[in-house]
Amino acid sequence: MSEFLHYFESSRRLTAVLLPFRLEDMIREWSGLRSVMARTCPKSFTREEWGYLLHFLSEENLIRPFEQSFGRRVKKSKRPVTALLRPRGPVAIWLPNNVSLLGPLTAILMSLGGNALCIKTGSHSHDLTVPFLDFCRARLKKGVLADYLTRQVAADHFDHEDPRNSRMSQEAQLRIAFGSDQAVLAVHALPHPLHSTGVSFSDRQSQAWVEPKALTEAMLVDLIKVFAVYGQAGCTSPQKVILLGGDRRKALALRDALVKVWPKVIRRDPPLDAASENLMVYQWATMMGWEAALAPRQGAVFAVGHFSSPPFQGRMALPIIPATLEEARLRLPPTIQTLGYAVSNPRNSRWLKLLGTTVVKRFVPIARMHHFGPVWDGWDFWREGFENVEVSVGSR
Amino acid sequence: MSDLLKFDPFSRRQDEELLSELNDLTRHHLAGCAEYARLWPGWRAAESIEDLPFLHVGLFKRLALKTEAAGILHQRTLTSSSTTGTAPSQVVLDDCSSALQSKSVHAIHQAWLGGPARPLLILDETNALRQRGLVSARLAAALSLQPLASETHFILEDVHRPGSVRWELVCEVLNRNPWVMLYGPTWGLWQSWVDQKAPPEAAALLRTKRIDYVHSGGWKKLEEIKVDRRQFDSKLLEKASADSSVIDYYGLSEQVGLLFPLCDQGRRHAPVWSEVIVRDIYTLLPVIGQPGLLQFLNPLAWGAPYHSILTEDLGKRLPGDCPCGRPGRHFELLGRVPRADIRGCANV
Repeated sequence: MSEFLHYFESSRRLTAVLLPFRLEDMIREWSGLRSVMARTCPKSFTREEWGYLLHFLSEENLIRPFEQSFGRRVKKSKRPVTALLRPRGPVAIWLPNNVSLLGPLTAILMSLGGNALCIKTGSHSHDLTVPFLDFCRARLKKGVLADYLTRQVAADHFDHEDPRNSRMSQEAQLRIAFGSDQAVLAVHALPHPLHSTGVSFSDRQSQAWVEPKALTEAMLVDLIKVFAVYGQAGCTSPQKVILLGGDRRKALALRDALVKVWPKVIRRDPPLDAASENLMVYQWATMMGWEAALAPRQGAVFAVGHFSSPPFQGRMALPIIPATLEEARLRLPPTIQTLGYAVSNPRNSRWLKLLGTTVVKRFVPIARMHHFGPVWDGWDFWREGFENVEVSVGSR
Repeated sequence: MSDLLKFDPFSRRQDEELLSELNDLTRHHLAGCAEYARLWPGWRAAESIEDLPFLHVGLFKRLALKTEAAGILHQRTLTSSSTTGTAPSQVVLDDCSSALQSKSVHAIHQAWLGGPARPLLILDETNALRQRGLVSARLAAALSLQPLASETHFILEDVHRPGSVRWELVCEVLNRNPWVMLYGPTWGLWQSWVDQKAPPEAAALLRTKRIDYVHSGGWKKLEEIKVDRRQFDSKLLEKASADSSVIDYYGLSEQVGLLFPLCDQGRRHAPVWSEVIVRDIYTLLPVIGQPGLLQFLNPLAWGAPYHSILTEDLGKRLPGDCPCGRPGRHFELLGRVPRADIRGCANV
């Protein structure tokens, strides 16, 4: 197999990255799939999921992990190389059981590092990874990507007791495990090479923090869009909206505005079971003392309450809680991942100070809550696909 | 507490009487159940049955609702068999409602099964009776046949072993009686009665006896093994004498006291003291001739607000009288609302 050196320059260093393909070929071929993808949507995917994948495959997005990790791509530099990164070796990925885009997205990102991938998909429900890989393999012309996907990527579904789990772990230099705490613990307890690395993406939840003065219609649209994709089933979906400095009256106004804007943003009806569940959740929340409202055609439930209100749960139910910033900070769940914000001045250093005293992993505008990237949940996991060789080319 | 129970269960009804009873019952629950009252603040008496408030059936898996009032003595809790991965429903029973519900069920059984008192064989184990304070919906359905029974026998050694039919006991009962009732959950009846080979002497004896098979519980598992109603019935009937019958009841644990028997035209019949409404799932408007969510109402529930329940079952209300000749409300049961996969990465 041929190997190619690629150079990236930051203000302090020049990094060489060795890949088994020309990066520009790989990126161009991934990106070239977009025109084919734009003409169809396989039945396993919702339109939103397919649209997100299509966006994810843009050339700018695919070069971003390299630029974020190593600096600007350069052909030449007067500086000496101080680090060489080479693919670490086989990567094993355990995906969650729900239907999720995490599989296709992780596969795309990790493919850029050139390591062989072995993916275990969820065993309880339909999967998006295998249909996506099949779609790509069937439509790609001969080239580095088709060759890579055919020879280097394997995806299959089996349960947690299957001996293939052990084999995957034993052969992998990098283990990436998505799932419940228990499932992730079980993956890392499998026998694995001494110097291999494990990355854990276990149970997480996210919140949207908004200030009343930042409540524009555009913000409401963003909030509905990020929530509607997976509702409470998305680890980066807002599990709650915290109305910072707001009161009950303002929270009710936000609830009513969301109900009003919902049909402008979400034009399809929910599945029958979701519509029925939403009605039940609306009644449940109301009976528990929440001030709940249903979006038209039972699309979602928005409910105003307090941190101390009795809990209720629903896949498409979004609690809205007015609170002070301090209350919101103190009530963050230990599993918090993303804070999506709509605040008047996100650059204010008070946010950095606040983040520094919490376990929040991401602080992003609401519209970017679901944006998956090479750094995730506090892990620079994509970079873990490379081994770092220190290089010093001085005379002594 | 319901004047409607004096009527023939499958006759014509004056809606005003039912509406009046249901309005009274709604007022009673608003006064005695705080959670229910939170949901319908400022409620005024409905002018039609369709305008009466309803609760979604799923609430009974999440809340143990109770209505407190003078003369209401809460007793045991009825628990449903839960669908995989979900909590069972819990319906708090009370003495006043139980009396009405018993009358209702007895009248429905009388109208559908009739005949002299005869032995009741129940495809369950005796241990089913030994849970203090709780009663399963399956057991309640079986025991509702007791008023028609001359004697009752549990004929499984172990409910988890479908092949553990106590054939000696069955033969002993059959030897003494020409006509028996046999109750089992639909899937249980298939597993323990159709799918098991009876000992030769029991099989021979069965073929000479009249058996009224009564079952309830749904077809999901039978659909999975591609068994349809015709096959199910004929497999049961070929084991007994020619005058035997199969009766399929549909009911919900959240509608205790109501059974909706299936007629030979494939329609379910509602007793005169109940109402069936089909609602469009997205608008909640009542529809006729189109599929939608089934809602059931009855005036028999005083201890908790389960008198008007919107289910997760799909059905179709059909106009006019049923071709089977029975007057009154009838509907087609179309099955559970299909469940979509959960999409997303979180554990929910």
